[in-house]
Amino acid sequence: MAILEVRDLRARYSKGGREILKGVSFSVEADDFCAVIGPSGAGKSTLIRCINRLVEPDSGSIVLYGRDVAQISTRELRQTRRHIGMIFQEFNLVNRMSVMDNVLAGRLGAVGTLRSIVKLFPRGDIERALAMLDRVGLIDHVDKRADQLSGGQRQRVGIARALMQDPKLLLVDEPTSSLDPKISREVMTLIREVAREFHVPVLCNIHDVQLATEFCSRILGLQDGVKMFDGPTAALDRRKLDEIYAMEVL
Amino acid sequence: MALTVAPGLGMVLRNRNLRLLRAAAFAAVIAAIAIVCLHQVMVVDTDWARLGGFAAVMKTTGRFIGIDWSLLPLLVVPVIETLMMATLGTVVGAILCVPVIWLGALNITPSRHLAYPLGRLLMTVSRSIHEIVWALIFVSAVGLGSLAGILALAMRSIGFIAKITAEAIENVDKRPIEAMQATGAGTLQVFRFAIMPQILPVVLGVLIFEWDINIRRSAIMGLVGAGGLGLTFHRQMVMFNWPGVTTVILAILALIALGELLSHHARKAVT
Amino acid sequence: MTAANPAPRRWSRFRYPDTLISFAIQLAVLVFIAYSAVHLDVKFERLAELFSRVWALLAERYWPPNLNLLTTPRFLRAVLDTMEMAYLGMLFGVLFAVPLAWCSARNVTPSRRVLYPAARLIVMACRAVHEMIWTILFVSILGFGMLAGVIALTLFCIGFAAKLFAEEVEAIDPGPVEAIRASGANELQVFVYAVLPQVRVAWTGIVIYTWDVAFRAATVVGFFGAGGMGWYLQRYVQQLDNQRVAAVLLSIVALVLVSEIASAVARARIARGS
Repeated sequence: MAILEVRDLRARYSKGGREILKGVSFSVEADDFCAVIGPSGAGKSTLIRCINRLVEPDSGSIVLYGRDVAQISTRELRQTRRHIGMIFQEFNLVNRMSVMDNVLAGRLGAVGTLRSIVKLFPRGDIERALAMLDRVGLIDHVDKRADQLSGGQRQRVGIARALMQDPKLLLVDEPTSSLDPKISREVMTLIREVAREFHVPVLCNIHDVQLATEFCSRILGLQDGVKMFDGPTAALDRRKLDEIYAMEVL
Repeated sequence: MALTVAPGLGMVLRNRNLRLLRAAAFAAVIAAIAIVCLHQVMVVDTDWARLGGFAAVMKTTGRFIGIDWSLLPLLVVPVIETLMMATLGTVVGAILCVPVIWLGALNITPSRHLAYPLGRLLMTVSRSIHEIVWALIFVSAVGLGSLAGILALAMRSIGFIAKITAEAIENVDKRPIEAMQATGAGTLQVFRFAIMPQILPVVLGVLIFEWDINIRRSAIMGLVGAGGLGLTFHRQMVMFNWPGVTTVILAILALIALGELLSHHARKAVT
Repeated sequence: MTAANPAPRRWSRFRYPDTLISFAIQLAVLVFIAYSAVHLDVKFERLAELFSRVWALLAERYWPPNLNLLTTPRFLRAVLDTMEMAYLGMLFGVLFAVPLAWCSARNVTPSRRVLYPAARLIVMACRAVHEMIWTILFVSILGFGMLAGVIALTLFCIGFAAKLFAEEVEAIDPGPVEAIRASGANELQVFVYAVLPQVRVAWTGIVIYTWDVAFRAATVVGFFGAGGMGWYLQRYVQQLDNQRVAAVLLSIVALVLVSEIASAVARARIARGS
């Protein structure tokens, strides 16, 4: 059974703007590491953000574990988001907060409002945060301020934060655009490993086709809001790649 | 080649001469106005006969040299009260700032066309009115004493604190907000974890900064009867105790130096 | 998981002694504020009612303002005097502030051991003493009148402008400075050719800002005997002539606001032009 089923998704990036996604349909299975590729403006980022409704879709259905995310109320949305982890292009950490607090913030949806305001997280969460930080290799940086870390380290904090949620789906938005090539590979390797370890399917927006084909098991090709390719990485050949990127002017 | 270069060079030289000419004209205007003003001050307004010449002026200045040691124990309470006035003035000012900030920050103001300009106007008015003027207003309204000084300092401080805080709120980084929302956090949690850590250091920093400036201001509140060391200063002046005046000034300088030290370290710790 | 170094199970938000010291300081500050409020008899709960009382009192006492005063030639002369004092204070303040800023900027000071600390000290002294204290001092030495006011304002402006000037200088790109130095120029040439061009625009803004504070101060120095509108303020306060006091206050506020608007326009023009 598919974890995520998207049917005929249409969306604009902002109200009254032009239509970015023009009826996209696909599904994500339990063990997929699915890359979304395509030229700039194809709607890759919008697609990722529609899944957890950071961007509101105009129409279509987004069925996650049998529930249509597009239809649920704000309160239910918040609960659903608790189970969707997201990794961002610019890390989206709180720079002045410590690494530990940034990772613990992944559990905000689960911890009561009052406890979280005074930063009194349960012991279990703290232990889990330590375990995640150890897993991403940052256990020695627990109390450092987030802005004291390098780009690669910050992204690893972001990965740890997403994993704290014990997510059922990982949304990844251009995880390596702000990183240099060597660090990019390390980050992609880490994401692939933890996804396998924790049995989480990944939907990843990535503009570097090389990285996409190397790390991801499935490719979703978008061009101008329309799906041009949907299949295993092995099936993506030169000709199909040219089709997807046909409109891109260098 | 020479033909195409020469006209271009001519234009460059002409432009350069024009700019020099403009600069010279500007300097001439500045100087002319200065001469008019100087004439008014030095010739029309100053009674040189009464000044009695350079030697006499130096003698008068010399009267201030010296410290009145007997005054020192009497300065302890005013110094502490001056510090208290500065502190409370900053605190009250911060409290009064809240509505002004709400009005004057583009992303949280209720109305961009009415409330926002009003907020910015209040900030400007607060900074435009000299603290002495504020002190006079409040002495008249609540009587002599430190309350008038505290309120005057508060009103004077609103402008800067509100301006900096409103700008911090307007410039808040949206990315951590997005990340918190994506984890399913509630509105209050998003505020506590994504917005507050960005704004709080700025707010604390500006409060400490303004507190430091308020020490300087509160020292003179007493000149118009609003409490603190200024009162001691005034008393020494009317008693013609020139060394006493110098002593009070030194005490004020010492207090300001202490304030700057504390402020410097506190701001480093907070930001 | 790193097998050699399993994840530690102990982590606490409270670190000794940092958290304790931080907590102690915060507590001390709050205690000081509370004690100040008690000692100076300030009741926070009554703040709102206090302000409405103040407003009512002021409205009753100072309304309507005696605007006739504003058109008398002597008052207008005083307004002009105020502007003249502010102009001279700003002009000479800025002129003296330039070399002082140069010497008090860590990166380009011509002498780190002598001129730098000396310049810093002079600027600090000028800034620390409130402009009203300068005014009172010079009035007592030079007598009533504009001369005392101009000198006091000049000293005030020197301190104000020099600090801001120096901050801008310390923030410049060291590249051109190095280049000009390397070509064998002396320190003054380095300043004129590498520093000034970089800070020109920011300094112009600071000069305008200095005018703003100078004018604001100039309107009040007369209160302590130094000429200008402030003198009328003092006279009418003493005479308890509230309507006239209100008129003077209103004119001060109005003039300062007009000056600020003009400054803002000038600053916007400069920002656009650069």
